Amino acid sequence: MFKLRAAFAGLSAVVAAALPFHAGVTAASAQTFTKQVTIIVPYGPGGTSDILARLMAPKLSEAIGQPVIVENKPSSSGNIGADFVAKAPGDGHTLLITDAGTLATQPNLVKKLSFDVQKDLMPVSMVMFSPYLFAVHPSVPAATLQELIAYDKANPGKLNVGTSGVGSVQHLTALVIGKKYGIKWGIVPYRGGAPAIRAVVSNESNVIFNGALATLPFVVQNQLKGIAVSGDKKLPTVANLPTFKELGMPVVEAGSWQGFLTSKGTPPAMVAKLNAELRKILAMPEIANKIKELGGDVRTGSPDEFAAWMTKAIAEWGAVVKAENIQIDG
Amino acid sequence: MDLFANLATGFAVALTPANLGFCLLGALIGTLVGVLPGIAPITTIAILLPFTFTLPPASSLIMLAGIFYGAQYGGSTTAILVNVPGESSAIVTCLDGHQMAKQGRAGPALAIAAIASFVAGTLATVVIATASVPMTWLALKFNAPEYFSLMVLGLTGAVVLAHGAPEKAVAMVLVGLLLGLVGIDVNSGAPRMTMDLAGLADGIGFVPIAIGMFGIAELAVTLGKPQDRSLLTVKFSNLWPTRADIRACVPSILRGTAIGSILGVLPGGGAALSSFAAYALEKKVSSTPERFGRGAIEGVAAPEAANNAGAQTSFIPLLTLGIPGNAIMALMVGALMIQGIQPGPQVMISQPQLFWGVIASMWLGNLMLVVLNLPLVGLWVSLLRVPYRIMFPAIVLFCCIGTYTVSNTVFDIWTMLLFGILGVFFYKVGAEPAPFVLGFVLGPLMEENFRRAMYLSRGNPWVFFDFIERPISAGLLLCAAALLVILVLPAVRSKREEVFQEE
Repeated sequence: MFKLRAAFAGLSAVVAAALPFHAGVTAASAQTFTKQVTIIVPYGPGGTSDILARLMAPKLSEAIGQPVIVENKPSSSGNIGADFVAKAPGDGHTLLITDAGTLATQPNLVKKLSFDVQKDLMPVSMVMFSPYLFAVHPSVPAATLQELIAYDKANPGKLNVGTSGVGSVQHLTALVIGKKYGIKWGIVPYRGGAPAIRAVVSNESNVIFNGALATLPFVVQNQLKGIAVSGDKKLPTVANLPTFKELGMPVVEAGSWQGFLTSKGTPPAMVAKLNAELRKILAMPEIANKIKELGGDVRTGSPDEFAAWMTKAIAEWGAVVKAENIQIDG
Repeated sequence: MDLFANLATGFAVALTPANLGFCLLGALIGTLVGVLPGIAPITTIAILLPFTFTLPPASSLIMLAGIFYGAQYGGSTTAILVNVPGESSAIVTCLDGHQMAKQGRAGPALAIAAIASFVAGTLATVVIATASVPMTWLALKFNAPEYFSLMVLGLTGAVVLAHGAPEKAVAMVLVGLLLGLVGIDVNSGAPRMTMDLAGLADGIGFVPIAIGMFGIAELAVTLGKPQDRSLLTVKFSNLWPTRADIRACVPSILRGTAIGSILGVLPGGGAALSSFAAYALEKKVSSTPERFGRGAIEGVAAPEAANNAGAQTSFIPLLTLGIPGNAIMALMVGALMIQGIQPGPQVMISQPQLFWGVIASMWLGNLMLVVLNLPLVGLWVSLLRVPYRIMFPAIVLFCCIGTYTVSNTVFDIWTMLLFGILGVFFYKVGAEPAPFVLGFVLGPLMEENFRRAMYLSRGNPWVFFDFIERPISAGLLLCAAALLVILVLPAVRSKREEVFQEE
């Protein structure tokens, strides 16, 4: 039945899209939601941000007593959707859910961005963090970071990291780690994380840093060999793998993370209300469990904490982009 | 045996209530557009593409495939009753089918068309299932160099088998290739030909192009042609063919199926070519060729079997290699890519439910068409009375809604209209849109894999031709070269023109 419902959801999205619901904005008094709330997902359906939005939208609707709809605006690495929210009226009725790509690496890479991530968007709350699994194809004769470094020294030009794209967190992570340990691997961009995994499983490339959820099954089935896990927490299914922190590796917090933001000018009381409701929703066992299934940990906090996290991430990846002189804007 | 286990997997997917529903929906929509001469299945598939994004990949492909083979049924209904071929593949069915209707034998003609289609559909399903098994071993051997060579072969095939002048087909492939490169380059991250428009950063959308070229342009072209819609009032005295009819048709159906199955697999082949070839063969082997064109039931059975078999086996190159043989299959590639599935040999292994589910659904869809269509004939014919002035604006509206919903931007609607105009221009200068779409879809994949292969080999172009290390890549390039040689041979060239003239 799920599939039929999905079809209806598609139809209702069409109807909703055809109605000029952005017209006639009424000034919302602080803390009350006066009309439908729209969550913009700047990527296509089916990705992590989209799943999170669709998971949380019904709960948010119950909490604020207004319909909450999810709208996908995929294009330009999430920048089109983010721009839409940045330019929406500052009344807290338009939310953005997106990830490290839009919030931390794109601002460093795209010079002519039509909005300022830190000034034109207001952080509401972080949602989840999912660590990277650092893995190699089983044919690579190395099971630890040290063995991998030694292998690259003895066989230069044999290692290739498959990444989800130029300028992605995966790409930057591979650059930083390669530089720190003197590994001269090639970095091969693919169209997203899934094709990158497939390429490494088929031994076209042979090293990967990718979200734990998508990568773990291959490690469990011995189609990939795990080397380490980013962050400071071990993963229960592969408890033998050391963490980046234990190994003293750089970019400990490399990984994928998502959060909610809203348009600038939204009254702080409204942001606080949204933050409180989202945190309540993320504390519900059914939501937390689903996020665990997605391979991540719920990570919430105040709007200020999320803002601080973003500032740190932008600075950290900005330093990498500058040091490596990566430019993708012509 | 693996085959039965695979088919069991397929039926488990195809028999879920939702997928049965989508199969039925696709088959019904297909019949509908098959009946209406102004709308081709490719138009319909292009228009419905955006509506399938929210569906799981298997359901979406099941429905789109249903439209394709459903149209083959619908096309023959109007061919027999009204002498208007709803589809190009039904043109031959008019010859004897309509004669039979005039002689008061419309019922048997319709019944034999449906039975022939069903038998052919069943046999073609078996052909697809068996032919696919040996292809799976290829899947694990496909890396960047093989993909590049496969795309080269695909595009060469698009040129060789396109209708009309090969120069025009080459030009169309190149235009498609060029437009396919618009957007941020995967390998360097640099935006190309985007003119600083944010809407072009991810490239020109496939859906606006497909709907523009095949939806809007086709409608415009149809409106430019005179309409012939005289209706025949048909009486259905008896629906069932006689025992003698059946006996006469069995060998014809089998021959038609064989021809359709073979021609369907060839790039550029498919339904239309198959039905012509089957009709020609029947006339040749018949002891009474003078009956043809005067209501010979074999002349209905053979082409109907052939076009349905051809429609189905044209899925083989798509599903096993990811190479679309014609424009409709190129749209299917688009549908897969939008679902995040990179077409290619690995689809069979990584997505067995999708692959076998679609195959199983084809058989189910054919069954539904037989059961549903005969009772519904009256309804379909009455649809022909809907005037274009109501139908066409409704379709244009659908095109706009469909395009808009892909990424909720008005930019895409303008893109669609632009490509609609371009499509009419292409039609006027006699350039086919199919090689263009193939270039647009395959070109970027070709470039991406070429550069990836070069990078992985650290700049050694020999990887593509290395017969020892990479026999598949070298073999594919050899095939492409052979195709090109064949194309320039004068004898083949004149023959080719002759074949396309007939169509």
